[in-house]
Amino acid sequence: MIKRIPLAWLNLTHDRRRFATSLAGVGFAVLLMFMFNGFMNALYDSQLQLLNRFNGEIIIVNRLRTNMFVPRAFARRRLYQARAFDGVQDAYAMYISEVNWKNPETRKSRGVRVIAINPDEPVLNIPEIETYQQLLKLPETALMDTKSRVEVGPVEPGIISELADRRIRLVGTFTMGTDFASGNGNLLMSDQNFLRYFADRGPEEDKRSFATVDIGVVKLEPGTNVERMVNVLRENLPNDVLVMARDGDNGFVIRERNYWQENTNIGFVFSLLTSMGFFVGIILVYQILYTDVADHWAEYATLKAMGYKNGYLLGVVMQEAMIISVLGFIPGVLVSQLLYTAAGNATGLFFQMTPERIVNLLIATFIMCLVSGAIAVRKVQTTDPADVF
Amino acid sequence: MARISVAWSNLMHERTRLGVAIAGVAFAVILIFMNLGFMGALIATATNFYEQFNAELFLISPETLEISTSTAFPRERLYQVAGVDGVGRIMPLYSEYLLWRNPETGVSRAIFVYGINPNDPAFLMPELQGSEARRILSQPDTVFIDRLSRPEFGPQDIGTTTEADRRRATIGGSYALGGGFAADGTLIMSDQNFVRYLEPRPLSLVNVGLVKLAPDASPEKVADTMRSLLPADVVVYTKAGIIDHDSAYWLESTSIGFIFSMGVVVSFVVGAVIVYQILFTDIRDHLPEYATMKAMGYRSQYLFKIVLQEAVLLAILGYVPGLAAALGLYHLTATATAGTLPVAMNGGRVLFVLVLTLLMCSLSGLISVRKAVTADPAEIF
Repeated sequence: MIKRIPLAWLNLTHDRRRFATSLAGVGFAVLLMFMFNGFMNALYDSQLQLLNRFNGEIIIVNRLRTNMFVPRAFARRRLYQARAFDGVQDAYAMYISEVNWKNPETRKSRGVRVIAINPDEPVLNIPEIETYQQLLKLPETALMDTKSRVEVGPVEPGIISELADRRIRLVGTFTMGTDFASGNGNLLMSDQNFLRYFADRGPEEDKRSFATVDIGVVKLEPGTNVERMVNVLRENLPNDVLVMARDGDNGFVIRERNYWQENTNIGFVFSLLTSMGFFVGIILVYQILYTDVADHWAEYATLKAMGYKNGYLLGVVMQEAMIISVLGFIPGVLVSQLLYTAAGNATGLFFQMTPERIVNLLIATFIMCLVSGAIAVRKVQTTDPADVF
Repeated sequence: MARISVAWSNLMHERTRLGVAIAGVAFAVILIFMNLGFMGALIATATNFYEQFNAELFLISPETLEISTSTAFPRERLYQVAGVDGVGRIMPLYSEYLLWRNPETGVSRAIFVYGINPNDPAFLMPELQGSEARRILSQPDTVFIDRLSRPEFGPQDIGTTTEADRRRATIGGSYALGGGFAADGTLIMSDQNFVRYLEPRPLSLVNVGLVKLAPDASPEKVADTMRSLLPADVVVYTKAGIIDHDSAYWLESTSIGFIFSMGVVVSFVVGAVIVYQILFTDIRDHLPEYATMKAMGYRSQYLFKIVLQEAVLLAILGYVPGLAAALGLYHLTATATAGTLPVAMNGGRVLFVLVLTLLMCSLSGLISVRKAVTADPAEIF
C-alpha cells in the first residue's frame, strides 16, 4: 500500500497563481457576508453602547419608557426608597435630554443628547468622567463624545459654543458612539449644569428639575443575588417604575435590542442581503472547483480507470472545498476587519467582530464550499474513462 | 456578424460554465438592485407623506432638519406672505410627538401628531374632507388616527377611547398617510386639541407653514417673491424642494446612504471578480486558438474585441434574469414587510444598473484579455 498522496492539496497548489485567485474569490464571498451581517449587528449594537456603560446591576425607569426614545422620567424618591434595602450599595440618578448644539464652525444647530450625572458618583463606566471630574463641576462645562457625527463640528477641549442658546465650554472628550436616540452625538455634563440649561427653557418647553430622573442605576453590594434583589425592589416600589436587571435574558439591555429588532426592518433587509452574499459565494466557489475539475479531468478519468471509486473522487473535491473555505476565510476576515474599522469611522456606528459571529460565518462559508463542491463533482462522477482518451 | 459568432461560440462551447457565469452576473445584478431598492424605499417612506399635503409651498425654519425634528417659527411669517399675489390660502401645521396608549395592552408609544385648523383643507386624504369630518375634528379630545400606524398602537376603530399623555382621547376617524422614517404612527387633531395635549406648546409657533396657491400661480415665482419679503428665520420650499431637503437629510445625516452605497460598490467588485474568473478561464482554455489566430495575422485588437463581446454578452445574459429576480424579490420584500418597506422599480434604476453591469463586465474583460494579447504563438505549440 503506497502512502496516501494529499491529492486535494496538490491539485489546488499546482498552479500557485490560480490558487491565490481562488482564495481571493472565497475571501470576497466572506467579505460580502461579513459586510451585510456587520451592518445589521452594528445598527443593533450601537443602540446599546450607553446602556452597557451603566455602572449598576439593576436599572429603574419609568414604566412608560419602553425604549430609550421615550422621554419619560420618574420621581427621584424611588431611588431613595431603593437605597433603604439590604444589599443595595447605592442608587444613582441620570438625567437625559435632547437639545440643539451649535456647530462653532458652520453656526448650524444640530440635536445632541445631553447625559447628566453627579461627577462624584460612578454612574457610568466612562473613565474620562474621573479624569475631568473637577472641570465638570465648573459652570457651563461638558465633555463631548469623539464619535459624534461630523455635523457637530470639531470635538476637542477648549471649544466654546452654544447649547440650548446658552454658552458652553468643552473641557474634555470621551468615546462612546451614536445611536438612534442620540441625535448627532452625546454630551456629558454634571447634574448642576443640567439644571442651568434645562430648568427653564421658556414657556414652550418642559421644565426639568432634580425631582424627576430619567434612568436610575442601582449598584448592589458585592455578592448580592441580582435576581432576588430585582424581585425585592419590584415588590416594594410603587408600580409607576419598572425595575429590571441590567443584563440577562430579561434584562434592560436585551429589552432595548429587542425593541429595535421588532420595530424596524433592519433584520429583514440585512438578513436578505447576507443570504444573497451566501449564494454569490456558492457560485464563486463552484467556478473555482469546476475549473479545477475540468483541468484535471484526464487525471480523474485515469484514477477511475485504475479502479478508484466515485466516492474517492468526491472525497478529493470535498477536501479541496474545505481547504479553500478555511484558507479563503482568513483573508476574508482580515479584510472585513479593515472594512469594519473604515465603516465605523465613517458612520460612528459600533462595528464589532465577536468570536461568535466569526464562528457563525465560518460555518456558513464551510457549508457554502461543500454545496459548491457537491455540484462541481457531478461532472467527475459521470466521467467515463473511455470517453476522455 | 462573423465576429460575434466567435465570442458567442466561445461562450456556448461549455454550457454548464456559461450557466454558472450567467448566474454569477445575475446575482451581482440582484445584489446591486436590492441595495438600491432598499435605499430608495427608505428615502421614499421618509418623504412620500408630503404628497398628501394640500399645498404647493412650504415654510419651515432653517433649523428644521426634517419634519419630525423641526424647530417652530413665528406664525406672523405666514400672515406676512398671505397677501402675496398668487397665494390662495395659508395654513399653519403644528407637529409634535405624543405618547399614545394602546388601550388593549396598556403600553404607551410615541406617536407623531399633526395639529391643523379643522377649517383648513391641509391634507388631501378623502376621509378628512367634508363638513362631517370638520365637525368631528372640532370636538374636544377627538383625533383621527393613521391606518398605516404600527399595530402596536392598538385598535383603530371609531369610538375607541384611550389615553394620550395622561389625557382622554377618542378616535373619531382614520385615514391613510404613513409616518415616514421618524414616526411609527401619526394622528391628526384640531389645533385646539393640540394645545390641550401638548401644553405648554403655544399656537403662535408653527412647525410647517402650508401655502395653497391660486389655481394659475407659478410656485417658483411666488416662492421667489416670498423669499424677498421674509426674514432669515424661515425658508420657502416647493413640494419637490422640501422632499429633496428631507431626503438629503436622511441620506447624509444618517448612515443609510453610506451603508447601501457601500453595498452597491462591494457587489460591483464581487460581480467583476466572477466575470473575471469566467473570462480568464475561457481565455486560458482557448489560448492555442487565440495564438493560432495571432499567427495567422489577426491583430491584438481583434482579440480584444472578441473578449469584450463575450463580456457584453455575459452582461446582458446575466442582467435579464437578474432584473427579473430583483422584481420578484422587490415584491417579496414589500409583502414580507407588510408595506412598510415599499421597494419599487423605476426606469432610472433599470438603466443605471444596466450601465453598471456593462461596465463591470467590460472592466473584467479588459483585465483578463491581457494574457491572450501577450501570448506568443511560438511558445504555445
